[in-house]
Formats: sequence, structure tokens, C-alpha cells
Amino acid sequence: MSDLERLTPEQEQARDAVRALPPLAARPAYRARLREGFVTGTLDTPARVVPLRSRTRPVWIGVTAAAAAAVVLAFALNRGPRWEVMGTSGAGAIEVDGRAVPANDAGAVTAALHPGARVRMTGDAELVIQSGHSVAIDVMPGSEVTLPAPPPRWIARATAGELRTGELRITTGPGFHGARLAIATPEAGIEVTGTTLAVIREPQGTCVCVLEGTVRMGGHREAMVPVPHGHLRYVFGDGHAKMDDMRPVERVQLTLFRAARARGMAE
Amino acid sequence: MKPPAGPTHPAPPSVHTSTGPEAASPRPGRVEPLPREVLERVCARDPEALGAFFDRYFDHVFGLVCRLLGDRTAAEDVTQEVFLKVHRAAHQIDTARDPAPWLAAIATNACRDVWRSGAFRLGRRSASLDDDPALAASLGSRSGDPERLAVAREREQKVQQAIAALPEPLREAVVLHDYQGLSHQDIAALLGVEHAAARKRYSRALAALAKQLKGLLG
Repeated sequence: MSDLERLTPEQEQARDAVRALPPLAARPAYRARLREGFVTGTLDTPARVVPLRSRTRPVWIGVTAAAAAAVVLAFALNRGPRWEVMGTSGAGAIEVDGRAVPANDAGAVTAALHPGARVRMTGDAELVIQSGHSVAIDVMPGSEVTLPAPPPRWIARATAGELRTGELRITTGPGFHGARLAIATPEAGIEVTGTTLAVIREPQGTCVCVLEGTVRMGGHREAMVPVPHGHLRYVFGDGHAKMDDMRPVERVQLTLFRAARARGMAE
Repeated sequence: MKPPAGPTHPAPPSVHTSTGPEAASPRPGRVEPLPREVLERVCARDPEALGAFFDRYFDHVFGLVCRLLGDRTAAEDVTQEVFLKVHRAAHQIDTARDPAPWLAAIATNACRDVWRSGAFRLGRRSASLDDDPALAASLGSRSGDPERLAVAREREQKVQQAIAALPEPLREAVVLHDYQGLSHQDIAALLGVEHAAARKRYSRALAALAKQLKGLLG
């Protein structure tokens, strides 16, 4: 006989006591707010502090020649602020260069990220990263990306990344002005010069939804086309493209994402 | 059938046969699934269907999360996260299956995130279930006898405290089975363990609860 068929009277009593627990009623105002948000698709991620471990500051390279030191120093100073993990959620792991990092360990995730890192979100893990006042990226569940370098501060301010599948939501801040972020997908290229947008790579193709500003997007066999705010452009796998109004759910989610990141990126 | 990308879909809920010790008292918690045509409209994010979905499953989810976390404020946050995830994945709902086990999986995983978070480990508790005025109201709706109410409330507090004292894997096993009404098969799929392992966890949970509650339930 199995353990379950040999319950003692005390175990039966405990089991029955759990079964007798009553349902729990939520606060009516909370329930109503949640219902409204669910029905309209305007629910936001509840604020929750994800503790960040302290990190050691970057170590500057020292040299003896003053000119070489100045060049190196200038180059180092030009590097954009490294990616900081602003939040993680969901179960699953974040794979960085093939190594799994628990999604809820912000310190470990921060330490693992680097320009050019191949990041894969497993389960329903989600990651929000930010580089100073420049740009924030929400890496959605199921995404596979190559992380761009943070945009440099003063010179040569172009940076590039890749989205193989999934979705990135991107919003730029005052520190991004004059920089350029390129995202490549299997069928399209996207150029961001200061805006809030979503890049969605689906089996059928790549979609860019632009909340504000202007984004340039083009298939790999065509010239870049500006995508104005409030619109989407879809490049299909066979190369043909269409322009349309942006997806309502992206309008809402990008608005929320921009608002959530705006204060952190204000100078 | 829609491929379940993202949220995993456990096997269809098994019919729990009423034999042996488990037949001694009815298991609460099972919710009648919404009709398929309503679920299809949920997939399309039809507002009316989403409202029906929420109304059908909110209490189910909130109750599960409250019992797992033992903290009302944390449960409100987690429940919001669950429904946010449900809304995002609505287009992937398998309309041929009862969504309850899928919701339980999302809720359980969300609770695990909370357990692993530093803030929760530091013991920050803002509102225990014991302080819940709605609980008193629900007790009041069942009986008008004050003494009986007080006894029932005290019993529930003891049981909830005993559940909260269980290691999290055992807490999951007993809450999902005896409070939420899921079968061991569903729980095994939800937790990603073998059926035998799920039953074993449940046995150990009952043994631990019995030890804690010995002599306290009268």
C-alpha cells in the first residue's frame, strides 16, 4: 500500500482541515482595478524591489606615457554606462552565452551581461536593462538577442545588436541624443535615433511598432523606410512589407514602459 | 490545437476517483471551466470574454496565491502579475483544455519568485491573512453564531500558520491538492516532477502538518 493509503487519523484531520479552509475575498477596490486593467489590457507589472548586489567599480587601466594614457582614458571615458539590470520577472533562467543565470538573481545577471552577449530568455523570464540616461531595453519572454554595446558617450555613437526571435521594447532618454542603435533581425534592419518602439520578430517576419519619434526600417534587400510614430511596419520573410497603425497592445505596453523608465533616465 | 509556446499546458485534469482515505471529505477549489467559445474569444482578447474569464478565475488564483504566500499584500502583487501574464499569453490559450491548471502553474511559479526574493526572505510582512477583514466577513456569511465564528476563525488561523511553516515544496503540494483541488497528476505536470514524486511530497506535507497541528484542532 502507498503512503497515501496509510494516513493516520492525525493526517486525515490535517488534510480535512486544509480542505475546509474558506475561500479568501480580495479587497473590492483592488479586484475592480485589476479586472479593469485585465479587460482593457492596461495592467502593469507591480512595483517590486529586486535587490541588486553591490558591484565593484570599473578598474581603470594605468599607463606610464601621458599621451597614451590620455587616449586610453578618453576611449574608456567614451564608453557608455554599462547595462544595469532594472528588473527581472518570471520563472526560468536567462541564458547568457549558453550559461544559465537565475532570472531572479539581478546581480548575477548584471555581472554576466556584456556587449555582444548572446542572451536567451527561457520559461517566462523577462529582463529590463538600462544604460545610464541613454536607453532602456525590455527583453521579453522567449526572446533570443545579441546584446548591443551601450551607446558611447561622445564619439562614434553607433551601436548594434540582433534579435533572432521574440520581442524587444526600447525607449531612449536624454543621454541618447545623437546616438544610433541598429537592431538586425533575420529579414530586416531597424535604426533607432531617439524614440520608443517595439521590435517583434515572429515566424512570419519582423514588425516594428513606433510609439514616438521616427524609426527607419528596411528589409535586407530594400532601402530603409521611415516609420512614423503611431504606426507599424512589417517586413515578411519573402521580403514584401506593409505599413499600418501600430498594434493597440503595443501602444499600451510601450506607454507603460516609457513611463516606468522615464524617471530613471531623466537628467 | 494551438501549440503551447511560453506557458506550458499540463495534461488535461484527471478525474479524481473517490476511493480510499481521500474520499473522507470533499476537495474544494475546482472551478467549472468556461465554454470553449468563450475561451476562443478570450484568445482574441474580446473585452467581454476577458471579463468573464477574470470573474471565473480571479478568486481561484487569488486564494491559491494567498494560501501559498500567507501574506495579503504580496498576494495582491502576485495575482496582478499572474493576470498580466495571462493577458499577454491569451492568444496562446488552448481552448480545448481547462485553463485552471495552467493558471495554477503561472501562480505557483510567481509565488516561487517571491519566495526567492530578498525582500520576502527578510521577513517583510505587510498584511497577514489573519488581519483580513474580508475573512471575518466571509465567516459571518456562513454563520451568525459568534462563538462558532470565533472557533472557526481560530482553527483557520492555526491551519494557515501550519501551512506557512511548511517548506515551500511541501506547501505547494498540500495547497495545490487539498485547497485548490488539483489531482496529483496535474500537480506533477505543474511542478515538473514525476507523479510518484508529487504523491510523496504530498504525503510528507500531510505528515508535517499533522505533527504541527497535533492537539490543536480539537
